[in-house]
Amino acid sequence: MSGSHSQLAKKAKYKTTIKDPGTPGMLRMTLEKFMFTPQNPKSANKVDMEFRFIKGQKHTKEDPTKEKPPPALLNLTDRQGGSYIFQFDNFSDLQHCRDFVGKVLSKSGEVSERPTVTCADEQLSTAEMELRMKLLQEDSELQKLHRQFVIGGILTEAEFWATRKKLLDREASKKAKQRVGFKSAMLSDIKGSSDGRTNKVTFSLTPEIILQIFAEKPAVHRAFLSFVPNKMSEKDFWTKYFKAEVLHSTKNAVAVAAEAAEDEDLAVFLKRDVILENEARRKIRRVDPTVDMEADEGDDYTHLPDHGIVREGSKEVTESQQELYRRNLSQDINRHAAVVLEGRAVDVELEDTRAIAEALSRSKQVNGESDKDSNQEKLDRISRMTEIEDLHNSHDLPLAPLCIKDPRDYFDSQQANALRSSGDLLPGNEQIKCNLSTHEAYGSLRDSISAIKRGGLKDPIVKPEIAFQVFDALTHSISTTKYNIGRNPQESILDTLPKKTKEELLHHWTSIIELLRHFWSSYPLTTTYLYNKVSKLKDAMSQIYRQLEDIKGTVQADFRHQVSLLVRPMHQVRTFNSSLSKEKDAMVKG
Amino acid sequence: MVQFANVIVYSYQYLLDPKVAGIISKELPKESVVVFDEAHNIDNVCIEALSVSVRRQTLEGATRNLNRISQEIDRFKATDAGRLRAEYNRLIEGLALRGNLPTTDIWLANPALPDDILKEAVPGNIRRAEHFLHVLRRLVQYLRGRLETENVEKESPVGFLVSINNHAGIDQKTLKFCYDRLHSLMLTLEITDTDEFLHIQTICDFATLIGTYARGFSIIIEPFDERMPHIPDPVLQLCCHDASLAIKPVFDRFQSVVITSGTLSPIDLYPRLLNFHPVVSRSFTMSLTRDCICPMVLTRGSDQLPVSTKFDMRSDPGVVRNYGKLLLELVSVVPDGIVCFFVSYSYMDGIINAWNDHGILKDIMQHKLVFIETQDVVETTLALDNYRRACDCGRGAVFFSVARGKVAEGIDFDRHYGRLVIMFGVPFQYTLSKILLARLEYLRDNFQIKEGDFLTFDALRQAAQCVGRVIRSKADYGMMIFADKRYIFPNSFSITLTSKILNSLIKG
Repeated sequence: MSGSHSQLAKKAKYKTTIKDPGTPGMLRMTLEKFMFTPQNPKSANKVDMEFRFIKGQKHTKEDPTKEKPPPALLNLTDRQGGSYIFQFDNFSDLQHCRDFVGKVLSKSGEVSERPTVTCADEQLSTAEMELRMKLLQEDSELQKLHRQFVIGGILTEAEFWATRKKLLDREASKKAKQRVGFKSAMLSDIKGSSDGRTNKVTFSLTPEIILQIFAEKPAVHRAFLSFVPNKMSEKDFWTKYFKAEVLHSTKNAVAVAAEAAEDEDLAVFLKRDVILENEARRKIRRVDPTVDMEADEGDDYTHLPDHGIVREGSKEVTESQQELYRRNLSQDINRHAAVVLEGRAVDVELEDTRAIAEALSRSKQVNGESDKDSNQEKLDRISRMTEIEDLHNSHDLPLAPLCIKDPRDYFDSQQANALRSSGDLLPGNEQIKCNLSTHEAYGSLRDSISAIKRGGLKDPIVKPEIAFQVFDALTHSISTTKYNIGRNPQESILDTLPKKTKEELLHHWTSIIELLRHFWSSYPLTTTYLYNKVSKLKDAMSQIYRQLEDIKGTVQADFRHQVSLLVRPMHQVRTFNSSLSKEKDAMVKG
Repeated sequence: MVQFANVIVYSYQYLLDPKVAGIISKELPKESVVVFDEAHNIDNVCIEALSVSVRRQTLEGATRNLNRISQEIDRFKATDAGRLRAEYNRLIEGLALRGNLPTTDIWLANPALPDDILKEAVPGNIRRAEHFLHVLRRLVQYLRGRLETENVEKESPVGFLVSINNHAGIDQKTLKFCYDRLHSLMLTLEITDTDEFLHIQTICDFATLIGTYARGFSIIIEPFDERMPHIPDPVLQLCCHDASLAIKPVFDRFQSVVITSGTLSPIDLYPRLLNFHPVVSRSFTMSLTRDCICPMVLTRGSDQLPVSTKFDMRSDPGVVRNYGKLLLELVSVVPDGIVCFFVSYSYMDGIINAWNDHGILKDIMQHKLVFIETQDVVETTLALDNYRRACDCGRGAVFFSVARGKVAEGIDFDRHYGRLVIMFGVPFQYTLSKILLARLEYLRDNFQIKEGDFLTFDALRQAAQCVGRVIRSKADYGMMIFADKRYIFPNSFSITLTSKILNSLIKG
């Protein structure tokens, strides 16, 4: 891994400006820096630059449709605005360097800000490391936490990531390299360039184009495999192919037929593609049943000969002999689009035509095997397409999965709790004495018993007013929270606070959550390592609690009450932990 | 099966085409309710059901069929002469009493034939199998002679009958019985591979139609296709002009007949075309909860030149370029699927080639994949399937289709399969067609429907049918563009056309 991923060397030309012809030499890249050593050791154009000074990169794009490909240029710009231009011999070199620089740059963003914290006992692959870097870069909150706890020494790197396995897995499952598909544009525009004086037309082919021709025209593909190199050379093959193309472009079916009769090799390209037709027959079995017009063709009788009115243009008459050589643009366009949609099946370095042809036929075989279960697939598709929604049970389950992404949601619900506790003090309840001594309570009970003894049970037993008061007191908090929250969901207490305080609070909140996660994951405390960890965590938490208290002190008087309301649940968490942890500590020690 | 079913769903032909209806629909009880859904084209289906065309290949095939039948007859004569004699006796009694035709439900069993034909005895000259064959041979010979013509000929059935009588010595009554006589003969000879005998069936069908109807038809003989005069392709067409003929038995026989479609507009034209008196005639408006369609009429291209598919303008490079630019701009902004309708296959082929030459097609392909309806059903089906895949995977695609084509008739482009539909031009019928001209004339003379009105009506229902493909439910939404200056200007065209289309769209 390290061999190919931690450094790279390519032949390149170094250019100070784009117009500069360039100094040939060797470009070496490592994770930290890139160096250019000119072939001519006397040349002054030596470069030795660390990647942390590099801001970004630009590169030219490959365009196979152009006859003369643009130079493969890579431009690295540094933070001062200076640039280093390298020209490569080919685009694959450029791509390698581009990918490499991309990786290094994304890493160095991290590296320059802080020293890498990797424990000696951890053996991490570079790929995993990169993945973590990437995650940290994407999520600033994660980065903050990471800096606070891992670099602060409270948690180790491994501990930090252990709780985020899922995140890592998801990221890792994404394909590292994206496969390039076919271009949407048609190939019909590989127009030959004629020199104007002679009758000669020149075509230029790239491996990319060849692959596309093979994919779109299976007959050409097959012909290539059987003719080259036994029967004719590759050059002859393509000459014949383009001769056929030019003939087609004249749109003269008679002339095409005549040419084909003379040269049987040429006829291969001129005839209609039999393989395509067979393939169509195979594919038609798999189409979406709602668009299958072929299936219901027999439903009416209009397809029978001599029936009904010969509609305008609906039935074409041509001689069958020439029919074989007719081809129209619509078919080509449809075929092209189908191939583009199927995507590229071949994943080889596109250099040798033979290799391309063979790789393509291999991938076709694989497809052919997968056809065997096409019947099942078709049945599935039919049942899916003909599904009548009304007749089905609703798919959604009655449960909603719990997912708290935004801590504010939690604050809002805590606010409701806070209101509930303060609801006791609301007017209307004042008459009810809440704190009764045992003696008083006993006295009241006796009173009521004696009252019942005297007068028997009254009807109603409980006075409606009292019942109403009790009911009101019990439901008050529920209704008010609903009332408050439903009214203006945007304006939670949090939002009324000054921005700075709010951010601090949120940050502390996420920190506490993070710490608690580790805290609870360490139970039961079976080893001293865990014990140490827990105590470390406890210290960190108590620090945060102190900070919370500070916040409470610093905010303006208007907000103090609200802040304390918000902070209270966090403290509750603390008391809960500390008591529990004490218990557990005792257990461990005992 | 038909007797036991509560609901039967099948194609119009099973009820309207006399040949098929006799086999399939004869057992339907009188109380059945017949519903013609999506009936906006019902008049065309009726007309097709009663039209026959004869080509050289048909006549050749028919001759082969006759030879084969004659061999069969010889064989039967040698082995089982009794069968042929029994058939002969049956035919004297009349067609209705023949074993294969039940005496009940006669009307539907043979809707094309008037009542008397079934009770009448078959004319003596075709009762014997060999004699019947002779008659058919003479008829085929006569038709072959007529196909040799150099000019386009148009004749009424009456004139044609007279001519047949003079040249081939076959009278009208004999012709009238041809189809059933052939049917009977084939049953007697126990011929099972009826598909082989399609050609001779076509000829007999032609004979029966021509012998039965004196009006509502015309015979048109064209020595070549007008657009390809150098290729001789003679065709003799018996075309029906009166849609009411085929549907009349249905109205007569069933208690309730419902004709319904989203695009029956104007609704009062259908009773006239089909010659019936509607008991109830209603149109319903659709209530939309939001503006889910955005119809637009485009009369000028980006260079302010008018666009149209009018015959004198359609090949104008400016129009072609403007249409291309329009599509190019739209493919770059509209997400998912786009459907384009052209007025005919030949026009579509022409414009695609022109776009290809100008590089417009290449630019369009930069944004979306292009799929095209062709006259090959298999290819079109695959193209449609791929189109859907392209829309499903989010890549987006354009589908080029033809008004009056199979796609416009039967395929839905709902949801993301069609967020925009462009109607390039007004889908008028090919007005130089002899058949259309004859039909227009007939409509004018017999139903007092003006040519222009009918053409407009026809174009309008096709346009509405096309653009209606993208909205299939209330939750759906889409944009519709009518790209032709004639959608707005009142010259030669009803000014209310567009509003009519929109009305009919909202209805359905």
